[in-house]
Amino acid sequence: MQYAFLIYEDEAIYGPNKSGPAMQEIVAKHMTFNRELGSKRIGGAGLKGTASATTVRTAKGMKTVHDGPFAEAKEQLGGFYIIDAPDLDAAIAIAKKIPVLQDGAIEIRPLLGIE
Amino acid sequence: MSVLALDQVFRGAGAKITAALAARYRDLDIAEECFAEACARAAQVWPKNGVPGDGAAWLYRTADRCALDALRRRATRERLAPNPQPPQPTVEDAMVDDGNLIPDERLRLIFVCCHPAVAPDARAALTLRLVCGLSVSEIARAFLLPEPTLAQRLVRAKRKISDAGVPFEIPGPDAWPERLDAVMSTVEIAYSKAHEDAAGAGPHADFSTDMLALTRVLADLLPQEPEVLALAAVLHFAEARRPARLDEHGAMVPLSEQDPMLWNRQLIEEGKYYLRRAARLEGQGARILQAAIHAAWCERESLSVAAPWKAVLYLYDALMDIRDDSIVRLNRAVALAEVAGVRAALIEVEELDKDAMASFLPYHAVRADLLRRAGDVEAAREAYDAALALGPASAERLWLERQVAAVRH
Repeated sequence: MQYAFLIYEDEAIYGPNKSGPAMQEIVAKHMTFNRELGSKRIGGAGLKGTASATTVRTAKGMKTVHDGPFAEAKEQLGGFYIIDAPDLDAAIAIAKKIPVLQDGAIEIRPLLGIE
Repeated sequence: MSVLALDQVFRGAGAKITAALAARYRDLDIAEECFAEACARAAQVWPKNGVPGDGAAWLYRTADRCALDALRRRATRERLAPNPQPPQPTVEDAMVDDGNLIPDERLRLIFVCCHPAVAPDARAALTLRLVCGLSVSEIARAFLLPEPTLAQRLVRAKRKISDAGVPFEIPGPDAWPERLDAVMSTVEIAYSKAHEDAAGAGPHADFSTDMLALTRVLADLLPQEPEVLALAAVLHFAEARRPARLDEHGAMVPLSEQDPMLWNRQLIEEGKYYLRRAARLEGQGARILQAAIHAAWCERESLSVAAPWKAVLYLYDALMDIRDDSIVRLNRAVALAEVAGVRAALIEVEELDKDAMASFLPYHAVRADLLRRAGDVEAAREAYDAALALGPASAERLWLERQVAAVRH
């Protein structure tokens, strides 16, 4: 089996832009944890804060782009992709192609430390 | 002399320089900060060494070098190579007078600021700040918002653009419609900023021609968007009336008292052309009704023809169905006073949110006029004072002072 671990925390503790002293602390802890995981670790990354999030919503077959993270509780997290794209428009274009059978949303979040 | 020269250059080219820097370095903060830095340097250097032949080019080069320095410092800090190709400034640069030195990236920057990934309530504000060079306090007043609220929105929006990787490109045509609404609001606010000074002498006087040109560009680019065509019509009608907006003493002339013989017939015909095209398309919104209101006024041929108040009121009723806000209500009340009487109009105006309207000059002017006509001289005088306390431009001030004098007699 392979498992995805999704980490939930109050992002405010890491300061604006995730640049506060708590960020250094958690990064060091993750590095220790990664060494413990060794070859069990397949992938993973930190995400920029929700202020950087953009959401592509699908409702009644229409896809629209919005500022901010996915907020409604009607749908549940069902999967994720990590993609490489030159900019947000390219990322949005790919997000619009991700198949969604009925209504749903794709939250686009830049990875930390990768420009 | 130099301060004046700097001010003129800033007004004329500030937006273009900021947009060019933002497009080149893909960083809004650097563009804003380095343009400000270049202005500060000009204020030091120009009085000593004289004003350069092409002040805008001088500012652009100075701001450009400042941006490169800032990026190099950042690159050293982050050990990353800067994105853009560094330009090669030469000795001749300083002497060349090059009108084409600064690329016009304003349209590109408008589309960046109006990206759907930017918070909707920040898009127009950000465009006005970066593309039109309005100050935070001017934008806050235009949106009837407290300044700190607006400032915070701008900071968040800029951070979002940078963090999320919004591209500094003009998007493909399929992406335009979803950005259009913010683009159009921006044009409207910038134009009204220029228009609120009837003498056309304020710091934003250039906006009227800039925005008129921009609506033509948008209408050419998007001939199938009725709201874009309607917006072009509105601006052409409004601009057509400019020659009649001042009397011989330099005081503002209200629309219903303007001599239609002075209006620019060429611009009116262009406005009607845009409106006709808009009316033939599907998907019409509030702007086509606004254009129709302007058209109703512009049909008037002379002061001996009755003012079209009934048609105007009818159109405002229709407009309220799709866009019910304080400003539409206030404008409708002006027409209502002529059709249904002053008392009916006054009731409508007194229902508006007083706090939200406090810094909106037309609110006080309309209210004062209605109160005066209803016979409440004391309240009318207070309302005129409130209007004057907002520090209107000279044409508006002269007109208001004349009204105040009329109340006293």
